[in-house]
Amino acid sequence: MSNLLKYMIENASMILNYANTHFSLIFSAVVISLLVWVPLGILISRNERLASIVIGIANTIFCIPSLALFSVFVTIPFLGLGRSSSLLALVLYAMMPMVINVYQGIKVVDKSVIEAAKGMGMSSRRILREIQIPLAAPVMFAGIRITVVMATGIAAIAAYIGERNLGRLITEGITRNHVEMILSGAILIALIAILFDTVLGAVERMLVPKGLKVRRSN
Amino acid sequence: MIELHNVTKIYAGQTVPAVNNLTLKIEEGETCVFVGPSGCGKSTILRMINRMIEQTSGTILINNKDIRETDPDRLRMGIGYVIQQIGLLPHRTIAENISIVPRLYGWDKERIRKRVDELLELVGLDPDETRSKFPAQLSGGQMQRVGVARAMAADPPIMLMDEPFGAVDPIVRGHLQDEFLKLQREMKKTICFVTHDINEAIKMGDKIAIFEKGQLVQHGTPQEILANPKNEFVRTFIGYDRVVKMLTLFQVRSITKGNYSIIRENELANIRQKMDDEGAAVGILMNESTRPCGLITRDDLEKAGDVSPEKIKEIACSKKDAFIDGDLLLNDALSLMLEWDSDYLGVVDGTQLIGVVSLGDIRECVRRKEGE
Repeated sequence: MSNLLKYMIENASMILNYANTHFSLIFSAVVISLLVWVPLGILISRNERLASIVIGIANTIFCIPSLALFSVFVTIPFLGLGRSSSLLALVLYAMMPMVINVYQGIKVVDKSVIEAAKGMGMSSRRILREIQIPLAAPVMFAGIRITVVMATGIAAIAAYIGERNLGRLITEGITRNHVEMILSGAILIALIAILFDTVLGAVERMLVPKGLKVRRSN
Repeated sequence: MIELHNVTKIYAGQTVPAVNNLTLKIEEGETCVFVGPSGCGKSTILRMINRMIEQTSGTILINNKDIRETDPDRLRMGIGYVIQQIGLLPHRTIAENISIVPRLYGWDKERIRKRVDELLELVGLDPDETRSKFPAQLSGGQMQRVGVARAMAADPPIMLMDEPFGAVDPIVRGHLQDEFLKLQREMKKTICFVTHDINEAIKMGDKIAIFEKGQLVQHGTPQEILANPKNEFVRTFIGYDRVVKMLTLFQVRSITKGNYSIIRENELANIRQKMDDEGAAVGILMNESTRPCGLITRDDLEKAGDVSPEKIKEIACSKKDAFIDGDLLLNDALSLMLEWDSDYLGVVDGTQLIGVVSLGDIRECVRRKEGE
């Protein structure tokens, strides 16, 4: 234990540097995923044929082992080693949990609510904006949380293709049989995941519409 | 006024029409109840009127205008719509739920606020207590009330109601029906009302349209349908208690007669004489405060034979509850007659005696109505 602490203190600047890279990779991946997959999820909720195609693709991508996916990207000329390949892989992995959760979230909104809203003359755009998206928020958010935690883990593997992040502590530690190095990488990655999840959990509680949290008091 | 001309709906992938060549007219201010077993097409018809479903062929006119000429959203804004599941937006307060259509029309805040309170009161909810609650905080009955209030928000001349009181227990349903009937007497909206419950149809409808497998089988007033079921299907659908159901159409007041004598306690000894003189079939025993407290028929007197005034009083008092409010219905009267084993009931308005009703009168009424 004291060895571990000693190692971490002695290599603090390197570790912080790695943590910073790790963090920024996840952050960019999540931001890009949100921008791409949330709209796609909303889009496919309105078109069943497109939905089955997109969900099929997302599931397939999710089944590819991450090390394989990283390696394939490295061979593509304009991606190569490093950030672009890692980022693209993470964004693609995020497709499954994000698209499907957004889609499901919208789909599971009570049909009778939609029926009543439509019957009162609300346009389908308005129904989407004022009813489906707010009511889908909890499910969508669950997808985002899963994505972030998952991306934190997969990002570590990107160390194999040249990302200088916390994963490097693990890979290098393994080759050098350096226990403290492996442990500090693993612990910090886990901490980042927990941190993200906690923060997002708090945001989620703020986003869930109040009407869904109240119950009859009597 | 809503008119359907030769309207047919065949759902995609099906050969049997859900609604087959339907022609039906719903007059302004009339409540027309579509009734039939599930799958008979009644909801489909309702949903074609606000274009939630498009008909395969035929024309639907609202106030002589083809509904296909109006943008569907615009059309729906002008038609109140209540469904069995109510479909309140769970993330919006009751006030926000009720103000959906006014908001679509772009009413200003103050006008919406006033209208919400007015509607809540109209459907029997306390505005201060209810307006900022969420749907999950209301009971089933309260939610149904909000559903009705929401449909009436912009005062649409037409309302479509698809089993609006279907999801609550029978007691609450009865209350909601009574209250809605009372509202409708003032509002005089044109209403299409779907139900599978023939009793609800008889109670709520000015007209009833009975459907079977997409076909209109019979259309008429509840009385016409109960008196003359067109075929075996309608007869079976109404049930064996057809005639008793018909009794629910008439108030006791409507066949109340005056062939009774008021008997004071000191007149008990001369009761036969007094009833003969007045040509009365029943004697109503009154106490000092002109409250009826007992009832005795000629038959009772015959059966009792020559007995003391005390004995007569005892017989009369044993039927002290054989009285009925004039506002109640003939089926209620019949039930009370059976309960008290009495051919006659006293009819009251509050505590005031207004006459008597007899089993013979009920039979006479049924015979007359059946002949019409």
